[in-house]
Amino acid sequence: MSASVLVPSVVSPIVVSLFIPAVFTGLIVGLIALMAIAYQKNDLSALILTDIVGIGMLILVAAVGTDLAEALILPGLVVELAEILAISEILLSREMRKTGKTAELIPLPVSLDMEVMTTAPTFLAIILIAYGAFLTGFTGGAVAGGGILFYVLSQRVRGVPSDMWEGVAGVSGIAWCLWLVGFLLFFVFPQYWLLALFLAAFGVFIKVALKAGLIGVLGREEFNKK
Amino acid sequence: MDIIILGQQLLGYIPLGDIVLYLAPLNLFMFAGSLAFTTLIAISRTETQVEAGFGTLKDREVKVGKKEFKIRRFLAIICGLATAGAMITGDLFNFTLFVCLIGIVNIGIVAAVKQVDVLDAAFQYGLVAMIAVLPLFGGAAMILASTGTISLLEILNIPTTAMMIFGSLLLLLGVAGETGVAPFYATKAEMFRTPGSPFLLIIHLSSLLVIVRLIEILLIINKPF
Repeated sequence: MSASVLVPSVVSPIVVSLFIPAVFTGLIVGLIALMAIAYQKNDLSALILTDIVGIGMLILVAAVGTDLAEALILPGLVVELAEILAISEILLSREMRKTGKTAELIPLPVSLDMEVMTTAPTFLAIILIAYGAFLTGFTGGAVAGGGILFYVLSQRVRGVPSDMWEGVAGVSGIAWCLWLVGFLLFFVFPQYWLLALFLAAFGVFIKVALKAGLIGVLGREEFNKK
Repeated sequence: MDIIILGQQLLGYIPLGDIVLYLAPLNLFMFAGSLAFTTLIAISRTETQVEAGFGTLKDREVKVGKKEFKIRRFLAIICGLATAGAMITGDLFNFTLFVCLIGIVNIGIVAAVKQVDVLDAAFQYGLVAMIAVLPLFGGAAMILASTGTISLLEILNIPTTAMMIFGSLLLLLGVAGETGVAPFYATKAEMFRTPGSPFLLIIHLSSLLVIVRLIEILLIINKPF
């Protein structure tokens, strides 16, 4: 069966032999999801179980393993998300007609006194910042910034000293200069490329992380303007 | 153009970078048909559905509000444009994405109606459409794996293998579920019963055109003659 699959010669035979099992896995996952949906009595649970079908689709598309297939994974996920949104609108309409009550399009949880905000914040923030530091670059900065934002949001519930964040803004600016210096090193002294790479990666990571944290500060100032 | 697709001369193609739209007589006819119907939708107005009553000679009128009508008309125009796009695309994944868009918009057209049984039918149709996304994208991925390309103009010259046939079977299953043809057509017939306007027929016209286009694509991929 491997003769009917187009394979470039640089791919190792172990990876090639994994393609057919991956296809069967994807199809079996789809069948399991189908059985699960058929046995559901609740409409909402049946809708949530269609997520497993999405995972089966991901397995089938990712098994192809080329650049082109990677570019096709995101549209599949977007389609799945859009279909879930559309069908949940149907369910909402139906419940509204049956019970006679109305609901908003996007309900927002305005009160942030959830339990996770008091018991988890430091641990989750540290995990996110550490993972962001490992990723570095812009993505890592976004992840770490998310961790800092989460910490700020949780602390807002308890109250936070405000002068800590002025120093944060300053560090963010200095890290931005590190990023620029890294790029200058690339152009002027290309033989120090490793140093320049780390300067640029960590510079932009620190800058983005602290900038995202500043969003939390601005939000906190908005909320305190009562 | 010297390219021959299914015995017809290629009239031209529009290369938008990697995504190539090609025009052959069959495609062009279906493209023009769906665009003509979309234009009809864009200039249509509301209608009043009249239901006969049991036991009396009086008729009951069912009307649709202007705001709801405008939302439905907008979604119907999007459905028509998506059908038109699916007719001339020369790219397999582009075709599957357009089919999914048609499915989503079909659900959206009936999302705000007031009859609970229409909403029930729409939910069942939506559930089957979501499940059909697996064979739809999986089939296109398997054709990508077995031919190395998703461009239909390239697949025209690649001899058929067993994996291509299997991929096309999955693709057929996916489109059948996504557009609601047999054996999933019962819910679509129920969905159509909502009052509003005659342009709800786009729900059926889009499925018809997509099935004809799919047969053309399957003939391009597996060359039985």
